[in-house]
Amino acid sequence: MPIPPQAPAGALLSIFGAPGVSALRALVDTLIPPDDYPGGWDCGVGDYLERGFTAQLAPHVPLYLACLAALDAEARGHEDRSFAELGLPERTRLLQLLEKDGGAAEWPIAPVRFIRIAAEHAAEGFYADPANGGNKNEISWKMIGFEVVG
Amino acid sequence: MKHYDVVIVGAGAGGGIAAGVLANAGKSVLLLERGRPLSFEDVGRDHLRSMRFSRYGVNAGPDLDGVPRVFVEQDGATRIVGPLDGGYHNLAACVGSGTRVYGGQAWRFMPQDFRMASIYGTPAGSSLADWPITYDDLAPFYERVEWEVGVSADCARMSHLPEYHRQYPMEPLPMTRRANRFEQAAQGLNWRTTRVPLLINSKPYGGKPACIHCQHCVGYACPVDAKNGTQSTVIPRAIASGRCTLVTGAMTEKINVDASGRASGVTFHDRDGVRQEVGADVVVAAGGAIETARLLLNSASSREPLGLGNANGQVGRSLQGHYYAGCVGLFEDDIWDGVGPGACIGTCEFNHGNDGIIGGGLLADDFIATPISAWNGMLPPDLPRWGLEAKQWMRKNYRRVADIRGPVHEIPSPECRVTVDTGVRDRFGIPAAKLSGFAHEETVRTANFMDARAREWLLAAGAVDVWGGGHGRYLSGGQHQAGTCRMGDDPHTSVVDASCRVHGHDNVYLADGSVHVTNGGFNPVLTIMALAWRTAEGIAAAW
Ligand SMILES: Cc1cc2nc3c(=O)[nH]c(=O)nc-3n(C[C@H](O)[C@H](O)[C@H](O)COP(=O)(O)OP(=O)(O)OC[C@H]3O[C@@H](n4cnc5c(N)ncnc54)[C@H](O)[C@@H]3O)c2cc1C
Ligand code: SF4
Repeated sequence: MPIPPQAPAGALLSIFGAPGVSALRALVDTLIPPDDYPGGWDCGVGDYLERGFTAQLAPHVPLYLACLAALDAEARGHEDRSFAELGLPERTRLLQLLEKDGGAAEWPIAPVRFIRIAAEHAAEGFYADPANGGNKNEISWKMIGFEVVG
Repeated sequence: MKHYDVVIVGAGAGGGIAAGVLANAGKSVLLLERGRPLSFEDVGRDHLRSMRFSRYGVNAGPDLDGVPRVFVEQDGATRIVGPLDGGYHNLAACVGSGTRVYGGQAWRFMPQDFRMASIYGTPAGSSLADWPITYDDLAPFYERVEWEVGVSADCARMSHLPEYHRQYPMEPLPMTRRANRFEQAAQGLNWRTTRVPLLINSKPYGGKPACIHCQHCVGYACPVDAKNGTQSTVIPRAIASGRCTLVTGAMTEKINVDASGRASGVTFHDRDGVRQEVGADVVVAAGGAIETARLLLNSASSREPLGLGNANGQVGRSLQGHYYAGCVGLFEDDIWDGVGPGACIGTCEFNHGNDGIIGGGLLADDFIATPISAWNGMLPPDLPRWGLEAKQWMRKNYRRVADIRGPVHEIPSPECRVTVDTGVRDRFGIPAAKLSGFAHEETVRTANFMDARAREWLLAAGAVDVWGGGHGRYLSGGQHQAGTCRMGDDPHTSVVDASCRVHGHDNVYLADGSVHVTNGGFNPVLTIMALAWRTAEGIAAAW
């Protein structure tokens, strides 16, 4: 399922622009894809990043800007579509290929490292406590069986 | 200038105990703490900023800015580090310090732990030594702490120790599903097990309620105050005596001494940044192993230009903590029932008597890991970190993984050191601690040996896959830091004597982990507390 172009308000849009946000969302939903539980974006990873990029993740913004552009360039090189226009299987294959071969576009760091960093940030938005902005309604905790008392 | 009978630097584990004992012995006490008192809400439940997972912050101090340290890499390169960097070896900085957020494992060291050099010899390149006191000297004080601070445990299960004179004040916390499985497996292996002793109320005790088994024990504050740290027991009791003044936000710069070596008091920077001096008959430093060494080194005088108590270059040496050995096991069913605090069953079968190994360590099941901590530290090494497989693995297995781990008795090295760097200073202009060295190779060998025992236990309990373990050589200090101002009878190889008084200084004592000669194969806090109790009673009795 390709990611529909969308225009969220707020910090993400002003940092990345609409195409950038689509690419980011596509990336997040590739790192944590939907199955019978929603994907990372709908579980709040986007909200986590929205808040994080103006706070603790701010130093990573230039890296994301450059790497999302590179991701789009890679996608166009392979499929003549933007990264967000690809379906989940194609996006997944592309990331796996980039991890192995390093890609053809201009990357500020090896794609495998960027993917690792982004996967960690996505996991933070998905598995950490909701007060950090992500993990909407404790959805990941329900999924894995982390029940909080007290 | 204000004058007190005693000034104590640091309101953590050891300093809190010393304050309680000395105030109750009738002394006027000033307790100086650089951090703040932290309420439950202050500590919070942030999974990315806890003392267990300090990705973007710490919830029990210190502040991130203005408190630099210098870390020396193995190749000799240096870098300036802050509390979020592993090289910082952060413990905590608040009223209670680590005890505000610890797991509260309350182990006594074993008699052998005090006599390591006699039992094993001193390996080349190490500073392994016997303590100047024995287990029997400390046993009455272990008991005092178990009753006064409050420990839940069962002495009948402590078969690795000499007989207790008195049962613990509270029964152990309930067995978890995981612990039952591990207990059975241990029986199959013919290993004796113990219940993990915890500074946690299993019933109402000391005016505080029982544990409600939440999932945020280690690294967090207790929602019902069932966890017993110094901030909720001995420090409030000291203040209630009317003889103890706690001043927070007070960073002590130096201990002041006269020409004869007698301490006259301390200089500190108060919450408003004002430099103050107070007088005292006795000074007790209890800033934790790294900060106490720093304080002594920064208290140089014309009599001891290398630092207070450092005429023989011993202050700051033999920094040690604990390598944590262990493995993670994957089970076919939900072995984890989510019942906090988690740490429940252990074995001391391998603390000593291991063929060809110096010492050993404890193994126990661990506290509940938050989901992000599990994701970060408990996934199989070959699992992709993203994609459907990663998500579905967590979904299927978060409740099916369990780890067995434990602290390894380190073989101290004199090259593991705290020095100070006058070129790097904190926000008050005080020279920063500089940390260097890496653990003795015997420590690595012991850790690898203990990994294998953890693996054995997990497999016996039915794990279908086991991973983890494997240790390089690195500096060990962190939350279990100890050893920088060790006890001993000989001033050439130690910093304090058997009463924890600094050699050559009649009225300067240390009451924290810094005095440990070796750090046991056990989490250290009960020993720190027991020793601080003994030291403080000794001070009170002598004057
Ligand atoms: C998350 C966590 C879990 C833990 N779990 C366990 C466990 O289960 N079992 C166990 O045995 N141990 C555990 N520990 C370790 C335990 O907390 C420490 O071993 C213990 O607190 C060390 O005691 P101490 O007196 O040496 O130093 P601390 O308790 O650190 O006390 C030192 C205090 O001095 C203050 N200070 C330092 N320098 C100055 C200065 N110059 N002026 C003023 N104040 C100063 C510091 O801010 C600090 O508050 C845990 C620690 C943490 C953080
Ligand atoms: S597990 Fe028990 S003692 Fe620990 S924080 Fe939760 S309620 Fe408190």
